[in-house]
Amino acid sequence: MATFWLDVLDETIRACAAHGRTDLAHELQHRRAQLLDPRLRVLVVGAPKQGKSQLVNALLNAPACPVGDDLTTTVPTVVEYADEPSGVQATDPVAHQVVGVPRQLLRAGLVLVDMPPLGRAGPADALLATADAVLLVSDAGTGLSAGEVEFLRYAVQRCPTVILALTKIDLAPRWRQVAERTRMRLAQAGLNTPVVPVSAALRLRAAGTDDVALNAESGFPELVGRLQREVSTKAQRLAPHTAAVLTATAIESLVAPLVAEHATPPAEHTTAALQLRDLQHRHDGLRRHASRWQSALADDISDLVSDIEYDLRDRTRRVLRTVDEFFDVADPALAWDSFVPWLEENLRYAGQANFAWLVQRSHWIATRIAADFAGYRPEVLPESTFWPAADAFGGVAELERPALGEFTLGQKVFTGLRGSYGGLVMFGLLTSVAGLPLINLVSLGAGALFGSKSLRDEGSSRLLRRQSAAKAAVQRHVEDFFLKFSKDCRDVARQVHRTLRDHFLTLAEDLQEEIADAARLAKDTADRAAVEQDRRRQELQREFDGLVALRHKTRLLTTAATAGVAA
Amino acid sequence: MRATLADRAWYLLTTALRMYRDHADAADWMRHQIDRFEGALRIAVTGPACSGKSTLINALVGDEVAPVGTGFVWYQDGPTPRATLYPPGEAERELPVTRVERGLRVEVPGWLPADADPGEIVVDWPARALRHAVLIDTPAADLDGGTMARVRADADAVVYATPTVAEADLLPLRPGPGSSPGAMVDTILVLSRADEVGGSRIDALSGARVIARRRDRGIAVRGRWQTVVAVSGLLAHTARTLSEAEYAALAALAAQPGADLAGHLLSVDRFTGQAFPVPVDAPTRAALLDRLGLFGVRLASTLIRTDGASQDTLPGLLLQHSGLIELRDAVRELFLDRRQVLKARSALRGLRMAVQVWPHPDAGELSAGIEQALASGHELRELALLASLRAGRTRLSAERTDEARRLIGGYGDDIGTRLGAPEYLDPTRAWTLTEESLHRWRGDAENGTLTEDQRRAARTVVRSCEGLLTQLAHTDRR
Repeated sequence: MATFWLDVLDETIRACAAHGRTDLAHELQHRRAQLLDPRLRVLVVGAPKQGKSQLVNALLNAPACPVGDDLTTTVPTVVEYADEPSGVQATDPVAHQVVGVPRQLLRAGLVLVDMPPLGRAGPADALLATADAVLLVSDAGTGLSAGEVEFLRYAVQRCPTVILALTKIDLAPRWRQVAERTRMRLAQAGLNTPVVPVSAALRLRAAGTDDVALNAESGFPELVGRLQREVSTKAQRLAPHTAAVLTATAIESLVAPLVAEHATPPAEHTTAALQLRDLQHRHDGLRRHASRWQSALADDISDLVSDIEYDLRDRTRRVLRTVDEFFDVADPALAWDSFVPWLEENLRYAGQANFAWLVQRSHWIATRIAADFAGYRPEVLPESTFWPAADAFGGVAELERPALGEFTLGQKVFTGLRGSYGGLVMFGLLTSVAGLPLINLVSLGAGALFGSKSLRDEGSSRLLRRQSAAKAAVQRHVEDFFLKFSKDCRDVARQVHRTLRDHFLTLAEDLQEEIADAARLAKDTADRAAVEQDRRRQELQREFDGLVALRHKTRLLTTAATAGVAA
Repeated sequence: MRATLADRAWYLLTTALRMYRDHADAADWMRHQIDRFEGALRIAVTGPACSGKSTLINALVGDEVAPVGTGFVWYQDGPTPRATLYPPGEAERELPVTRVERGLRVEVPGWLPADADPGEIVVDWPARALRHAVLIDTPAADLDGGTMARVRADADAVVYATPTVAEADLLPLRPGPGSSPGAMVDTILVLSRADEVGGSRIDALSGARVIARRRDRGIAVRGRWQTVVAVSGLLAHTARTLSEAEYAALAALAAQPGADLAGHLLSVDRFTGQAFPVPVDAPTRAALLDRLGLFGVRLASTLIRTDGASQDTLPGLLLQHSGLIELRDAVRELFLDRRQVLKARSALRGLRMAVQVWPHPDAGELSAGIEQALASGHELRELALLASLRAGRTRLSAERTDEARRLIGGYGDDIGTRLGAPEYLDPTRAWTLTEESLHRWRGDAENGTLTEDQRRAARTVVRSCEGLLTQLAHTDRR
């Protein structure tokens, strides 16, 4: 037992150093040295004017500490054994006085430190760390205040041996009730601090008159007995108990960050997984998208082709109607030469307009498809799709002059004569009845009339024939033109279709490859993070196990020490 | 005519009421402030836990009326004893009261959850002390200043009872942020439980008085309190209510020779123990301890034995020892006689807070007026000087001290008293007297051989004289 606590303490110090808590290690070293010191250092603390200095003086029956009406104790006073009464001022670590008094109680190893009131002496931490035991002094007239209970709770963690002294019981009429209430309050707070009611005034008076009964009434024998026992059994009781508490606290503070780290899931893992999931999602989306745009493209192109054809048809029909109207009136034989350029020009114009529209529509289709891809990457459309092959629109044959025929002079004479024959004869016969010769003026005149009429008829029927021939010729030509042009347009459209499809296919493939690469990378990172996390977890577990073993030892120490203390 | 602080406060209050008449909450509050301004002086007794506040109130009132409940309790003068509870957010209701032997017992409603607001209780009690002022009993002043802030808002003057003069106990008295330099004129520090000083030695009370005087004279006082008084509340209260039976018991004790009795007066256990030489039974002895404390019993028996105090004179002697008379003097001189000033001050401070809480486009001028009144209020400076002279912080020669106190209104506020002249003083004579004083004190104010402190005091007196001259000029014109 004697060395078990020392071993546990040493091991804890090592563990603190190993975990990087050099501050804890230092403190435990310091306390270790103090616990090995056979002297018992008791801190006397409390609120102002509770009677601390008077208590110390009464314990020793010597005016070691300054006592006065106003606030008197301003620096700590350390009272220890000396063969001759002495007093010195010291400044390490804070300004304090050291008083030497030749008393049996002190010779056994007791050192009393009378502190200035709580709140004045600087940080309580440092002071509690230098004490083996704490004597909290409170007035029996007013009982424990909330602040004092808080202080007790705090002190017990740093310095587990605490005694509460209720002073001035010679003046407080109900001190027994106050003591009982204080005990209950401490029990409720979970503190098992012994409560000792004392009266310094009675004790000093008893010491002055050697009155044993009065001394007993002062309550000091119990306090002295307790202190003596603590001194004599320091190595067996106080040291293990204190060591147990200190190591337990230290281990708890070492374990806490480990537990915290264990509990929180590492952030890296989750981000890598999220990334991977996101990439896979995009990959699937891309694949679904492919079929969609291909069918959309095909639909658009077929729409385009039918629309273009209709448009061309419409335009050529309009040209034909104009031609018909023109040739209803004009004479092709005369107007043909001027007509042909007009026709060529109109046809050319129709073709150009139609083609322009084709180009525009194709652009629009391509842009729409590309917009779907823009979600993945902003894309530049290939310009080369839209210029047709150089020979696309050549090769429409020239308009041929139709066989218009001529109305020569001989034919005219013949026709006139033939026509006039009937008239001549008719009117000649009529006039011969009247006694005129067959060929006379009337009949000649009639013959001329009839002849000119048939000449005219013949002319107009020839004209009509010419006109219809011209119309037919034009119609044929326009038909040819339409056929050729529409075929060329369809070719262009198909070419556009193919080019766009190929282009977007390659694009989609590139994207998929990109995503696959990124997914591979993300998976690598996630794997590596998982490996790292496992490694870290194992490390944590190892450290944790080490600390658990240490804690177990501490628990053993605690149970043994508590049993010793309770004894 | 130069307005007094009270006049200015009144003017500002009515202006504010007019300004805020459209705003229901603010107008209500202003009206409440005006009522308060015209009402009695409110003195709050506060301090850290277990400092004897309630005992002090009982001593001042003369009957056992405190403690009642756990919240703020207001004691005012009334024809019959009555207690009214004002719970927060509910309607007020009367509490049953019973007159007991020495005072009053109020049935406070039972259990409340720990942090519930217990509400305020107003107790009507016929007592002479309450005719001039309303006393407020407060819960312990906690360190975070919540209670103190409320006390300063509700009360015009504060009596701070503390068992020790340690910093920890005096922490709630530190001036709050942004408080004006004259913040201390409304606080008197009382070293309560003076009978426990030095382990209740026989000269505990004089020891306490020494501590009080030391604290009074210290430079650190400025800004914290007007004066320090050492009082034993227990002794004072019992002295005022000493009964025949108690006197008989004390006389029996005193009849015993001192040497025999000394041993039995060493501790409470011995005093209430079985073997007691005097034929006074244990319950009576225990009751005596409750009422007087061991110190009080020792003191009373000594007084009877050595000074031959009789039943008529013992209370007076005890009262004298207890220090209550000094406390009453201080309260009268610094609080009651200066009601107007203190009430004006709290009205102005309340108004300042209200203007901050309820902003108003025209509030700028009002704020300026409030600040000017608070900063330049000469009455406040007079009050501070009065306390300084009382405590001896500012030392002038004996007759100068007296003259200064007189001129700044320490004995009375009207011109005649200030000039130390009989009542029917004709204006010319008054004028001459004032001019002479002014001349004399102005010389002092510029006298290089005096300390800065004394010169400052002289300047205050000079200003008071100037005020008197203005007043005389005004009455002359009329």
